[in-house]
Amino acid sequence: MYTTKSLYRRANFDINQTICWKMLTDDQCEEIFVTAAEVLERTGAHIENKEAQKLFAANGCWVDGDVVKIPSSKLEWAVRTAPSRITLCNKSGKRAVLMETENSHFGPYYGSEMIVDRASGKQRKITVNDAIDTARLSESLENVSFVSAPGKPEGFRKETAGLYALEALILNSNKPIIQPVSNAKEAELAAEMAAAAVGGFDALRQNPYVVFTINCNEPRFHSEDSLGAVMYAAKNGIPFIYQNKLISGVTAPSATAGTLVVALANNLVALTLAQFVSEGAQVIAGGNFTIFDEKSGIAPFGAPEAGLIGAGFSNLMRYLRIPSAGIAGISDSNVSDAQLGAEFTYGILSSALAGTNLIGGGGALESGKVASSAALAMTDEVMGAIHRIMGTFDMNEDTLARGVIDEVGPGGNYLGEDHTTLFFKSEQFWPNLITRKRIDDWTADGAKPMGQRALEYVEDLLGQPSVELVNSTVAAEIKSILAKAEETL
Amino acid sequence: MANYEQLAMEVLKGKKKLVIATVNELLAAGEKPLDIINKGLIVGMSEVGVLFSQNKMFIPEVLMSAKAMEEGVNIVKPLLQVGDMQSAGTVLLATVQGDLHDIGKNLVGIMLESNGFTVINAGKDVSPEAIVTLAKEHKPDVIGMSAMLTTTMLMMKDTIELMKEEGIRDQIKVIIGGAPVSTDFSNEITADGFAPDALSAVGLCKRLLA
Repeated sequence: MYTTKSLYRRANFDINQTICWKMLTDDQCEEIFVTAAEVLERTGAHIENKEAQKLFAANGCWVDGDVVKIPSSKLEWAVRTAPSRITLCNKSGKRAVLMETENSHFGPYYGSEMIVDRASGKQRKITVNDAIDTARLSESLENVSFVSAPGKPEGFRKETAGLYALEALILNSNKPIIQPVSNAKEAELAAEMAAAAVGGFDALRQNPYVVFTINCNEPRFHSEDSLGAVMYAAKNGIPFIYQNKLISGVTAPSATAGTLVVALANNLVALTLAQFVSEGAQVIAGGNFTIFDEKSGIAPFGAPEAGLIGAGFSNLMRYLRIPSAGIAGISDSNVSDAQLGAEFTYGILSSALAGTNLIGGGGALESGKVASSAALAMTDEVMGAIHRIMGTFDMNEDTLARGVIDEVGPGGNYLGEDHTTLFFKSEQFWPNLITRKRIDDWTADGAKPMGQRALEYVEDLLGQPSVELVNSTVAAEIKSILAKAEETL
Repeated sequence: MANYEQLAMEVLKGKKKLVIATVNELLAAGEKPLDIINKGLIVGMSEVGVLFSQNKMFIPEVLMSAKAMEEGVNIVKPLLQVGDMQSAGTVLLATVQGDLHDIGKNLVGIMLESNGFTVINAGKDVSPEAIVTLAKEHKPDVIGMSAMLTTTMLMMKDTIELMKEEGIRDQIKVIIGGAPVSTDFSNEITADGFAPDALSAVGLCKRLLA
């Protein structure tokens, strides 16, 4: 169309379809894997759960009290058996989040203790309305691929609070859900709720709509409850993230390589157990990393090391062909300021460039402690910009544009060319929140900084009339499961 | 059967070839040349202005529309009677001395023309003396100056000063545009207005000449 080149066929033409950050080579990944294998074979892991101990013993592992040592052959078998790709679906069963190769998907904060109240701007406890708002907001934000609740809502018992948050997510969004569960019983009830939403367990297994997040409590210490939840998920075909929160120099070696060894060893315990329960069980390796800030005495999840170690972890999991989950879009700042912008950006950029399959945690302040819906909208914008960078550009005869370059000639401009109208929209990132206004226009619009614009954008999105996303029969079924939870949990 | 609504839509979508075909069809059907401009081409271009101001159309698309309109006007123009079409005003455009950045100023020219103005485009790197000479020759209603650099924008002030010395400042409105200039700068050098983009420049000229 815009070419003057003769017909041709080309051979052996190398392209970079996107930028990538392959921090670790295959040899380095192998080195970390063999070290983790040695750790599990020599030092072993602390396994409290008796049923899990029996399974390890029955499958050729050495069980001595609560310490389980896993032969490398079993680890290697388990790594090969676990699927390299997991597809999450939205509520209607449409394939939505393809966790495979280096695909990155982004989603909101979870596990926060507080939330920024939109009206007062002050921090307060999380309520079930905040889960509803997060679900509705995530539904509207185009770079948010999955939903999760900001934290356990107030006003419920801690055993059941997470399930009420899950109800809010199911009722107010269609996107796949990441749901923290702390034991097998809670996992079972959460799975029943998700199954009710999609029309039964078979549908849920075939088109996974919910992913559990199960916390590994301490390094190489796997609690009764955590492994109970792991075994429930594996047996019932629910994908799960085995989440490892590691602080280099505190709960893991201060050297990044050593932290990765511990993270992998922890994940391999859950992964191997899941394969013993059910060959092919869907496991996502989870890693939330940071360092310890000696000056403030906190673990800063906005730190560059969070991105660095997370990138190494994702590279490692890509090598092992295991889907990965991490966190980004978290700031150590307490307010919407320049620090927050910087930390959001390099955090998300690191995770996305490293190909972390599920990036959770977007829009959290104070190292993850505080959720903010305005900040979530800002991370959505950052993710959009980063998608643009990662999308790079297509190169072909049309985009090389030799025809239009000739037509315009030296000294001309491209503004009024057909070629320009064909490409200018797709070749650019179109921001929602970032301003590029001249100062006159910006001042006329109220001279609002980014945080203010984000807050108004969120208010505007949440001010739209809510749509019923679940029919009344399903809603009633979910309510009855919650009533059952009140009795059994 | 071609109609004005369709012609306006083709201008809006920037479909050059369709505009040419429709204009010819309308002429063949016996429609008046002036009606083709006023009821078809201009209606489409006005809608472009509205959509542009709402951020629903963008400069490359606006230009496509302007070019499509121009094709239509070129067919009809030779058929018009003398005095049929009144110019909305004459505008002398120049990129000031020392400055070679004229893309934006040329856009302003295209947009003015498609809105019925007569445009004299003096080009780029035009000295204050040359602008004044051209102004005396063509007697424009408006002079529009552009500059892309902070170092050349001061030539705008020099030009206005020279216009005053030569006694033509009060007969001609002066508007300015370009990346470094602003409403404040316009006030400072006693210009009559500043426009941030090509379509606002059209609106500005219309307001100044109303």
